[in-house]
Amino acid sequence: MSSVSPTKWWQAAPGGPTALLHGLRRAASFRMALLFLALYGLISLLLFAFLYVQISAYALGRIDDWLARERNGLMRDGIAELHARVDFHARLDPDNVRPFGLYDAQGRHLAGTFPGPLPPLARDGRAVSMAVQDGRRELRAAAFALENGQTLLLSQDLHEFKEFDEVLVRALASAAALALLLGMTGAAIIGRGSVRRLDAITRAIEAIVSGDLSQRLPQRPAQGANDDVDRLVIVVNGMLDNLERLMREVKGVCDGIAHDLRTPLARLLAGLERAQRRAGSAADYHEAVQAAIGETLSLLATFNAMLRISEVEDGIRRAGFTNVDLAAVLDDVIEFYEPSGEEKHLAIDYARPADLRLPLRGEASLLFEAFGNLLDNAIKFTPDGGRIAVRLWRDDAGYAIDIEDTGPGIPAAEREAVFRRFHRSEASRHLPGNGLGLSLVAAVARLHGFSIAIADSQAGCRIELRLPMSPNTSVPERMPAP
Amino acid sequence: MARVLVIEDDAQTASEIDAALSDYGHQVDLAGNGRDGLLKAVTGSYDVIVLDRMMPGGLDGLAVLSTLRTAGTTTPVLILSALSAVDERVRGLRAGGDDYLAKPFDFIELTARLDALLRRRDAAPAVTGFQLANLEMDLLTHTVRRAGQTIDLLPREFRLLEYLFRNAGQVLTRTMVFEAVWDYRSDERSNVIDVHINRLRKKIDPDGTAPLIHTLRGSGYVFRVPD
Repeated sequence: MSSVSPTKWWQAAPGGPTALLHGLRRAASFRMALLFLALYGLISLLLFAFLYVQISAYALGRIDDWLARERNGLMRDGIAELHARVDFHARLDPDNVRPFGLYDAQGRHLAGTFPGPLPPLARDGRAVSMAVQDGRRELRAAAFALENGQTLLLSQDLHEFKEFDEVLVRALASAAALALLLGMTGAAIIGRGSVRRLDAITRAIEAIVSGDLSQRLPQRPAQGANDDVDRLVIVVNGMLDNLERLMREVKGVCDGIAHDLRTPLARLLAGLERAQRRAGSAADYHEAVQAAIGETLSLLATFNAMLRISEVEDGIRRAGFTNVDLAAVLDDVIEFYEPSGEEKHLAIDYARPADLRLPLRGEASLLFEAFGNLLDNAIKFTPDGGRIAVRLWRDDAGYAIDIEDTGPGIPAAEREAVFRRFHRSEASRHLPGNGLGLSLVAAVARLHGFSIAIADSQAGCRIELRLPMSPNTSVPERMPAP
Repeated sequence: MARVLVIEDDAQTASEIDAALSDYGHQVDLAGNGRDGLLKAVTGSYDVIVLDRMMPGGLDGLAVLSTLRTAGTTTPVLILSALSAVDERVRGLRAGGDDYLAKPFDFIELTARLDALLRRRDAAPAVTGFQLANLEMDLLTHTVRRAGQTIDLLPREFRLLEYLFRNAGQVLTRTMVFEAVWDYRSDERSNVIDVHINRLRKKIDPDGTAPLIHTLRGSGYVFRVPD
């Protein structure tokens, strides 16, 4: 991490053919294509070798056949005529492409134009290749033993065959070269495609690293886009969505902290400065100190609330879980807040089946605080003479708690946002509070397996809490994991 | 008044506690680490000990506490901690602590809780009733009278008044009242307690009588005969 390097490892090589080649060499798909190319080359080589061996053997075989046929032709008129026929053949073949020779039992030359003396061949008619005239010519020759002890030697110059052989090798070699070239080109095209894609992805990642969290990795259109890289891109983009949301939340919290703590700090400072400027008597100072203590306490309370929300969200509190009857806790909450409601002339209707128990693993104090917060909010926001209804019941889906008031309600657009830390609606800005109450409520609800939502209501705000249960047991379905 | 041993490694916090408790009239001894604290706690005779839960070095708060209890010292101990999580509190109390206070705290909270611990030390004998001025409370018949007039109290109001009687003359913070009477723990400062106190006050201090429940500036109450 600390090494100073001009280009970071994730940076794409800058443009230019060398760079592309460099990039190409690194591309996994290009390397894969090369591997297949090598395999293909090996197989082609074997195939061509086989072809070559087969074709040359066939060409030689034809010469050998011709030699055998020629011997039969020469022998048709009997041994006596052989001498004349061999000479006659020599006259028909002025270039001496197919030299014949006739030798007596002692190997002396009798007729024909075969260059040189009788070579030491087995006289069984099997054709062999041999060099003559000090290796300047190569002949395919067969020696036949005659009844009178003479030897008939038939041969054909291999010059033509060699030429054919050369043409064959050249044709096969150029076919192989062409195939290799095509393969190389294909591999390069595939590799270049993936290098381009990786470059595009790299550029997107660079943009993200440099702070633009709204960037996403380039995604190909959905149809036909299902290779490994596409899947990876989709997963990474999903992760980026989540990260961006979390970052936004963290930023919201930081902004909230900065904003909400700046105001009381400014008030604290202003109060202290005023005391310094004009406080004359001990009583003035006492009052200023008292005010400063008040502000500091509310700051501390805000910090404590933030810490507690984190604690609850982390699930640390699970260690203190015991068996709790939420119905009893709710009774206590109602009883605790009833006098506050009465002071504002609010009617609090609390309805629950008398024999209903809501047993769960949880922390009673946290639950008390969460439901207390909800009731406290309802009391705070409902105008004098209003009504607050709290209902607890059980149905097939599980347990349900509704808290409904006749206050101003929460606009649909804000219903998610109110659970965020430091969110304060326009309606509540003038009221005391730190905008953390509902965040804590949401965190406590989640910790205990409840879902929480703000629902539509004819008048005011309705908060719905649901604890899902499987129908045949009394155990919550989504018990908080240990 | 009382001899208090403060075991706290942070010098500044220790001197703040020292100042606050001295102002309150206690005689304070300081120990800067667990070893010193343990030594002083065992050899000296203190009425109450304030113990920091987290201390560097070999002996942390809980270790000091359990060693003390094993050694048979029964001096009440109030644990101070930066950790407010409930299991921390439970662990502290299980290790032999008598009360638990999360940092940061108001000094009135600290002194009020220390007072409560000191009072608990000279445990009150079993009582069947209380009287303060002309207010009487009978725990057996569950009745309350002011100047002979029966006062109807809701069950919770009865518990609240009983708690005030049991701690008459002491400063009681809202948190202490809430924890003792409602049996839940709260880290949040709530003014709802005031509403309950006011209701009770209206019932037991009707117009024309000398008030017995006094609100202290800051965050507490005292239940006593007015001066």
